[in-house]
Amino acid sequence: MIPWVYEFHWTAFHIIFLTVFGTVGLIVATTMLMVFNRSKTAKQTGRVEAIQWHSDFHDLPSGMRTCRHEFSGDVQHRTCNNEFRCESCSVHLAFVSMKGEPVSPLLLQNNVLGFSMPHDRYYHRGHAWVKKDPDGNCLVGLDDFGTRLVGTIESMELPEIGKKIHLNGIGWTIHTLGVKLRILSPLEGEVIAHGTEKDRWLMKIRPSDPQNATVHLLRETEIRPWIMREMERLQFSFATSGAGITLADGGELIPDFHKHFPNADWDGVLGQMFLEA
Amino acid sequence: MDKLFIPRGVQRTSLPKFLLWLLPWTGLFAVGIYAIYLCLAEGLFHTNMDNRFAFGIWIFMDLTVIALGAGAFFTGFLLYILRKKELSAVINSAVVIGLICYSGAVLVLMVDVGQPLRAWFTFWHPNTHSMLTEVTFCLTCYLVVLLIEYIPIVLKNRKLRQIPKFLVFEFELHKLMPVFAAVGAFLSFFHQGSLGGLFGVLRGRPFAFREELGIWPSTFFLFVFSAAAAGPSFIMLTTLLVEKLTRKRLVRSSIYQFLGKLSGSMLIGYVLLKSIDTLIWINSTSPGNGFPAFEFYETQSFGTWILFSEIVLFGLFPALILLSSRLRMNRVLLFGSAFLVCCGIMLNRFVMTIQTLALPTLPFDEFLTYAPSWEEVAAFLFVVAYGVILYSLTYRYTTIFPQERELALGRNEEHGELSAAQSTDDGSRQNSFSAKTVNRTIS
Repeated sequence: MIPWVYEFHWTAFHIIFLTVFGTVGLIVATTMLMVFNRSKTAKQTGRVEAIQWHSDFHDLPSGMRTCRHEFSGDVQHRTCNNEFRCESCSVHLAFVSMKGEPVSPLLLQNNVLGFSMPHDRYYHRGHAWVKKDPDGNCLVGLDDFGTRLVGTIESMELPEIGKKIHLNGIGWTIHTLGVKLRILSPLEGEVIAHGTEKDRWLMKIRPSDPQNATVHLLRETEIRPWIMREMERLQFSFATSGAGITLADGGELIPDFHKHFPNADWDGVLGQMFLEA
Repeated sequence: MDKLFIPRGVQRTSLPKFLLWLLPWTGLFAVGIYAIYLCLAEGLFHTNMDNRFAFGIWIFMDLTVIALGAGAFFTGFLLYILRKKELSAVINSAVVIGLICYSGAVLVLMVDVGQPLRAWFTFWHPNTHSMLTEVTFCLTCYLVVLLIEYIPIVLKNRKLRQIPKFLVFEFELHKLMPVFAAVGAFLSFFHQGSLGGLFGVLRGRPFAFREELGIWPSTFFLFVFSAAAAGPSFIMLTTLLVEKLTRKRLVRSSIYQFLGKLSGSMLIGYVLLKSIDTLIWINSTSPGNGFPAFEFYETQSFGTWILFSEIVLFGLFPALILLSSRLRMNRVLLFGSAFLVCCGIMLNRFVMTIQTLALPTLPFDEFLTYAPSWEEVAAFLFVVAYGVILYSLTYRYTTIFPQERELALGRNEEHGELSAAQSTDDGSRQNSFSAKTVNRTIS
């Protein structure tokens, strides 16, 4: 079948046969080479975190991709397909343009199902909060729901000062309950300071795009329904992580609730709650 | 113990139970290995094949599993090329099944040929006058494609994806999957067809010989159609079996409906072509070669009931059920029909391999019988055991069914259906609820 090998003849059939299979082999080999090359380029250009989020988001069940406009009651049901990037979502922008009346402060409570969720902050789906500082920078920390989930932190790794962090990339890393957990970055920008325990914030970020830095983050009336969904998710994640069936009692999440689930797969529970696929 | 490797948000049985499940299959696997060793080391006299029955249970099995594994190429083609997004719910399972079927078939072929160390001869010195050459080339290339398609499924494992190199590679490979789907469809079309064409060109076997359409006999096209009809049905059955064994819902019922409709549509086309082909063969091809067609059905074992079963019982009957949206809603009828389709493909491949060779064609010939030896059966069961083990491991440690997690969360079925229908596989997802809808609401 190969030229100059015994029994090969320069006939149309032999040539067509060889050309067809040669083309198939060439396509497969070239495509694989392209995959290797693109992988190398993606690593070199620092796209790993973006790819990880894209991949994680794609694998999240639709129940974990609820659109914020479902929380605010604008729509009955909608699944986000835009990686929670509201700033580039045409539906979100259309909804924003139709909003007129500001929300009455009476409707806003800082205590949401026993969690302290102050309304002067913005919340990321991965349980990081953002507060705008008067100097134009943003303070970032872990929200109360996330804090109670991770329990007593064994160690924490914050990005170095001066490092650029990417939206939905790795914000910081926490070691707890034998699990290494990455917290998604709620902003795109440069880390300019680390907080102290007294400050109650973890990092100060200089946002890359100050005007649109918080567009994608949850706020005001969206917070309560979101936390309610998160409680529901927490229950389901326990059910699928070896802790058995849990029933809602309408109460609040008790401190150190981890101790009551010694057999739970914490990597599974925390991974699900912090949006890891 | 191994829970860190199990996908998040899904439940799997405990490791001891899983190992217990694998135990009998491993035993079967080991017996198969021994039988294969005997055939390769001591020779094919361990089988009951002879010059008359050159195609025994192995070739019958090869043809059957290759047809049943056709779900991989057909599903991939529909998902990546024709953008039938619903099939993303079963594409991983289809790829695993395809890989098992094709690698099993190639392995058994290797034993059947009996000279694995000279396997490269078929590529270096091929017989260009044989359709088997095309089959060999296509099978080998397609197996490589299936292995490539299997890589992203493995790399999606919870621990492996934490390694950036694997994560990025999987992502980039997945983006170019349409290329492999297209190549796979091309290769599958030809080898499925050539496997059928192989029998159609047997002039010395008038039971199988068919007139040519272009450069191929009609059996070429019948094999392609029948494989495309059986593939989706086999995916349905395997998914249902896994659901029953694991006591979990793995895909939405709408996916079964879609697969059923798909299988039914292909099957009705096949039944039509097969009927026309049979009528031409009965009235023209066979008498033209000096054999009244019904003489072939005079032996007690292979009466006309086989022809009836093939076309009506396992063809027209399930096709009509699968094409009726009302009847498809009944799960017993849906899966019963899928089962009949798979039985039909097995019967068809049996007829082509065993019956074709068993029927006498010369005046002094006698009807010969053949029963496989235990080594042949063990090698056959080896493929089954290998398939179960590979599928079980893949199911346990990777996400074969992307909807499983969602269904485990107990989300509202209607909402789930909506989002599933709106999602595409490549991540560029669309929502029918658009900015236009919002603006219309405002105005």
